[in-house]
Parts: sequence; structure tokens; C-alpha cells
Amino acid sequence: MILIGEDLNIMSNAISQAIKERNAQPIRECVEGQTGNGVDYLDLNVGPQKKDPAPTIEWLVNTVQGFTDLPLCLDTTNVVAMEAGLKLCKKKALINSASGARESMETVMPLSKKYSSGLVLSVINDAGLPSDADERAASILESLEYANELGIENEDIWIDPVLMPVGVDQRQILSYMEFIQMIPDLAPGAKSVCGLSNLSYSAPKGLRGLLNRTFLVIITRYGQDAAIVSGFDEELIRLNRGEMPEIVDLIHRAMDEEDMDISTLSTKEQEYVKTTQVLMGKTLYSNSWLEV
Amino acid sequence: MFQAPLEKYPVNIREVILGLGEKAKKIGGENTFPLHFFEGFLPNPPGLGLEVLDMQPENWPTWALDPFEDVVSDPVGWAKKGVEEYGAEILCLRLLSTDPMGMDVAPEEAAKTVRKVVDSLNIPLIVLGTGAEDKDSKVLTEVARECSGKNLLLGPALKGNYQEIAKAALEHGHAIVAQASMDANLTKELNIALCKFFPPERIVVDPTSSALGYGMEYTFSIIESIKQFGLVDKDNMMQMPIFADIGIECWRTKEAKESKDQGVLWEATTGMTFLLAGANLVVLRHPEALRLIKNMISN
Repeated sequence: MILIGEDLNIMSNAISQAIKERNAQPIRECVEGQTGNGVDYLDLNVGPQKKDPAPTIEWLVNTVQGFTDLPLCLDTTNVVAMEAGLKLCKKKALINSASGARESMETVMPLSKKYSSGLVLSVINDAGLPSDADERAASILESLEYANELGIENEDIWIDPVLMPVGVDQRQILSYMEFIQMIPDLAPGAKSVCGLSNLSYSAPKGLRGLLNRTFLVIITRYGQDAAIVSGFDEELIRLNRGEMPEIVDLIHRAMDEEDMDISTLSTKEQEYVKTTQVLMGKTLYSNSWLEV
Repeated sequence: MFQAPLEKYPVNIREVILGLGEKAKKIGGENTFPLHFFEGFLPNPPGLGLEVLDMQPENWPTWALDPFEDVVSDPVGWAKKGVEEYGAEILCLRLLSTDPMGMDVAPEEAAKTVRKVVDSLNIPLIVLGTGAEDKDSKVLTEVARECSGKNLLLGPALKGNYQEIAKAALEHGHAIVAQASMDANLTKELNIALCKFFPPERIVVDPTSSALGYGMEYTFSIIESIKQFGLVDKDNMMQMPIFADIGIECWRTKEAKESKDQGVLWEATTGMTFLLAGANLVVLRHPEALRLIKNMISN
């Protein structure tokens, strides 16, 4: 799976301050930490950038490109900032993101064509977030048609089915899984991508990684192509690289509901099994899902 | 000939006993959904309680208070009237006087009031605080001690005070209402936390109630889904009987304040709806709403 490191994010106090002070050192640490662990893209989340949108992203893109050759994923809802950043990207960048909402189709999508960038395209449309796999399919087909008419090929489109937190509605996780398996038929050549950490939003802090990692293994099996993840979760990156085959195998067995005597497993293995059962909708989620 | 397939669930909702002796009530115990007599076993009819306040309430429409007009500042008299005149088989004493934003009556004093009511009754009693976490934990701990061994149903035990309340209930032999607002995940989380030291067969869950026209369908869905998680998914942390405390919500609606008939029907309709969703214990404010529901069930 293609991993996009999410840690250069204006929501982080350290990053926000570094950007404000134009201090390259914390940015360098964040870039090198993630690239050292082995992510494939770096997401640059500068938020909405309401006032004076261009200079911030210009500085950040230039600064980051001074420390890495990885391609960038520009993450802002501000179209002016997006375009200013895209102009400076040396490698083929990724626009994060457009949606099927009218305004986004008209303002963000054309940038993908103009700058030959990849385009993250979410299933959200003017009616909001579709509630099941079929509605997601209907929404994305409409947006794809529009994108194709603009001259954007499926190969440049990264479909984001929108992953909701497990604590909000577990059924959404199941329809997410159903939908990613439909993507190759719906949009041949397009990729799937998600904001993985959103899955564990509102879960206890120390347990978020476990949910994210388990889900990464599950959706890899269902054909997910890419995910925006924490570039500092070393275990996640190792799992993705195939360095923990026994855990991957265990998660697959739990997905298949294979009979297993959980008491013979190590604590860590038990945690992965219980988490798989929650994410597959076999047990009702609660913040204390590991304690039962 | 075609026969409709029947669903069988190999588990039961836990049976919880309220009160002591001959007049004790069992709630829960079913292995199927409400009215699914063709599929399973519903051993206990739903518990229906009538509300009693420990002080004269403010802002109630006069027709809500009329049935208790002569006993409004006397919880023992109010309770007695509820039983003798209006046929209540379960009472629910709400300790409104302990509200820290109101009269803020001390825990010891509130506990003495509860004791007097308990001593005057031989039917099960639910005792509810005001939902103020700190105050409730002090009040309900004191009530548990003062009424040791009486098997009251105490609540609401919330995320922030369940430990103190459940500890006192455990020590003095009471059951508790575990309350998590409109969220099955949080209901489960609280139950898991409680069951680390408290017996699950003494827990009733309260997903909190909304009145007809004011979000009733949310409560309906959450009651229904808690029961489904318990029976269909066999989730043993979701097999507690379900409590709906609807008087407060129904009698503050515009409709209930407009006329007596509307108020009574509002409350009876809301209560009946929750029973159909799977509630095992419903507390009502107006004796006529209680009578309407009883009639509907017995017919």
C-alpha cells in the first residue's frame, strides 16, 4: 500500500508555530522522521488559510522539498493556496482533495488537469456523505464522469470513500469495506485512498494506533491502494512492508472467523484479534473493547 | 405449506429483581423481542413505575400535579396515594431537592426522606438523583447506607460517578441504573467498567429518553439496538434490562402544557412506544398515563 505521511499538519502546535515563525528546523525533523520510517508521499496540511493564502504554502513546499525528494500531497481547502503550492511542486503532486460538491468540481478539479497532478476525490457531494456502498458508488460515478470530461484520467484519480470513526457508527466501516471492493469495477485504473487515522478519532489515545494498524491490514486485503497515515507509527509501516507476516496472517484468520483459542495467544496477538473482531462488526465497539 | 422461519436466540436478557418479598418485581429475562411470543419467552411483563417527588415541583402544568394536589410536599403521602389510589406497583422517588442548582438539600437529609418512604411501602422503589455527578454520588451513597438491604434501584450511575454509587450499592445490596446518553458504544463501555466489580444481574441501563415529537425516534432506535446487540449478537455486556424515565421529558413539552388530555396521551404514547422498542421498565408521571398503558397491555 502507498503510504502518505500525515504529520506535517497545521493542527499540530509545533508545526503551526514553526510555520508562523518560518522556522525550518521543526519542519525538517518532521520530514526526516517520516521519510526515515519509509513513507511514500508527504501530506502538507495547511488548513483553510483564510488570510493571505499563498505565502504560507509556498514557504512550506519549498522548505519541505529542501529536505526530501518524495512527492507531496497538498492538503488545503483553499483553492488559491492549492494552486500556489502546485506551481512549486517538483514531482507530480497529489491534490487533497476534491469532492462531488458542485463548488469543488468547478474550482478544485481543473487544477488537476492544469498541473498534471493526482486528485484525491471523495464520495461527498452536495447532499453530504453517502450512507452506504451503493450511494457511494452513485456519487463517485457522477464525479468521475465530470472529471473525465475535464480530461482527467482515472489513473490520476484517488478515490476517498471517507472513513468514519469506529466509535460513531460501526456499520459505516462495513460499507467502507464493501465499497473499496467495488472500485476496480466502478473506476478501472483509479486508486483508493483514505485518511486512516480518522477511524480511531475519539478512541483512547494509547489505543488509536492499534485500530489504525489493524484496519490497514484489513483493507490491504480488500484491495485498498493508499492511505494517509502517521509517518511516525513504525509498527504500521513495518506491517505494511510485510515485516510482520504472523500478525497479518492472524488478522486474516480473525477476518475469516477461524476458530481460535484466544487464550493461547500473546497479549499483543489477542489485541489484534479483538480489534479485528470489532472492525469486522462482530463485536460492538466500546472504548474498552480490549477489556472484554 | 409455507412456514415463516422463526428466529431463536440462545441467550437471555438478564433478569433483575427490584424490591423485596412478595411484592418484589422481576424485569427482563426474555430471550426474544417485545411481543415475539411466537419465537421465544418473555417471562416478565414490563415494570411500570409512578414518579414521586421529594419536594413540591415547579413548572409542572396544574393537571400534572392535580392527582397529588393534597400530598405534594409530603413524599410519604404522595407515595401512599400512588399505591393505594392509583395502583402503582413500582414507585420512583426523584430527589429533586438535592439539586445543587436548586435547594441543595444535604445527602443525610435526603436519605432520611428516602428511608421514611421505604418504610411506608412494601413495593419496589427506584431512587433517582438529579444527574449532578458529584452531588448524586454523595446522596446515593448515603441513601444506599441508610436503606441497607432494601434492594432499591439507585441511579443514575454515570461515567463520572459510577464507582462510588456502585460500590455503595454493592455493599448495601441495591441494584443500579447505568446511564449513558443515546449511545450504544458508551452504554457498553460503562457496563464493562461496572462489571469489573459489580454483578451484571443488578444493572439496569438507561439510554436516556426523549418525548414524542422531541427525538423519540432516537430513543426508540437506541433501545432497539441495545436489545439487538444483546440477543442477536449475544453481547453479554448488552443484556441488561432497559429503563425509560419519561415523565420529565413528556411533561415539559408544549403539547403537555396546553391541555391535560394532550399531556396524558403524550406520556402514554411515548411510554408505550418504548415498551414496543424493548424497554423493560418505564416510569411515568401521570396516573392516567399509567392506567392507559396498563389497559393496553392487559387488553
